[in-house]
Amino acid sequence: MSLPKPVMRGLLAKRLKFHLPIAFALSLGAAIAFKYMVTEPRKKAYADFYKQYDAVKEFNAMREAGIFESVRPSGE
Amino acid sequence: MALPSQLGFQDAGSPLMEELLHFHDHALMVVFLISTMVLYIIVAMVTAKLTDKLVLDSQEIEIIWTVLPAIILILIALPSLRILYLMDEINDPHLTIKALGHQWYWSYEYTDYEDLGFDSYMIPTHDLTPGQFRLLEADHRMVIPTESPARVLISAEDVLHSWAVPALGIKADAVPGRLNQTTFIVNRPGVFYGQCSEICGANHSFMPIVVEAIPLEHFENWTSLMSEET
Repeated sequence: MSLPKPVMRGLLAKRLKFHLPIAFALSLGAAIAFKYMVTEPRKKAYADFYKQYDAVKEFNAMREAGIFESVRPSGE
Repeated sequence: MALPSQLGFQDAGSPLMEELLHFHDHALMVVFLISTMVLYIIVAMVTAKLTDKLVLDSQEIEIIWTVLPAIILILIALPSLRILYLMDEINDPHLTIKALGHQWYWSYEYTDYEDLGFDSYMIPTHDLTPGQFRLLEADHRMVIPTESPARVLISAEDVLHSWAVPALGIKADAVPGRLNQTTFIVNRPGVFYGQCSEICGANHSFMPIVVEAIPLEHFENWTSLMSEET
């Protein structure tokens, strides 16, 4: 009784064929996840902030809070 | 200003800083892409049961791991160069201010207005009032109008300093005998802090920069008041 001859060639190629697609997929997945969880929300946050931004209202609120030194609150 | 344990950038106060934020996100995305791939490969190599001693070369993989990084570098370089040239655009500034570094304070000269200049010293910790920030407050703030392009000419009177305001995306070295120019627009009213960014002696950490951005009409009132006082 003799054993079947084991596979002796192409072992690295076989391993690479298994692992490299997973490596590429994971790294692309990480990049896409970062893009849609960080990059796009940040762009949207800035766009939304300035869409409704009333500079005069914000300035007056900051002025009344005494934040500025060049412009004192209207009571002073 | 930066909050304690803050990791990321401060909220942008100028369009340029917004662009820098988005570019940083883009570059960091590429960093995560490469790091994930390398980490996976390291784990796969460390857990491998077999060792291949006979692979000597492979033209295919050499081409892949030369071309792919070149493409990635181009994808980083294009937005980077775009911002670089954007930073150098001189967009007809309405106002020019000179910021001069001294040991250990800044002085500001508004030469567009007659005789308007002042020194800006850090407020010592024992003189702070409640609500003020330690090592960041100055006795006289650099006041600029919002939504107006402003040019700052930066130099130094003694040793190297650097005029930096992170929230506005500005940093320029103050070199004795040299004028460095930077232009910026502040999107919104507020107070923006920075610190000297070039080692300049014992009190290098104690010469902060404070920029106060207010609407143009209030800025004009302030310049009239300051000119009268001086």
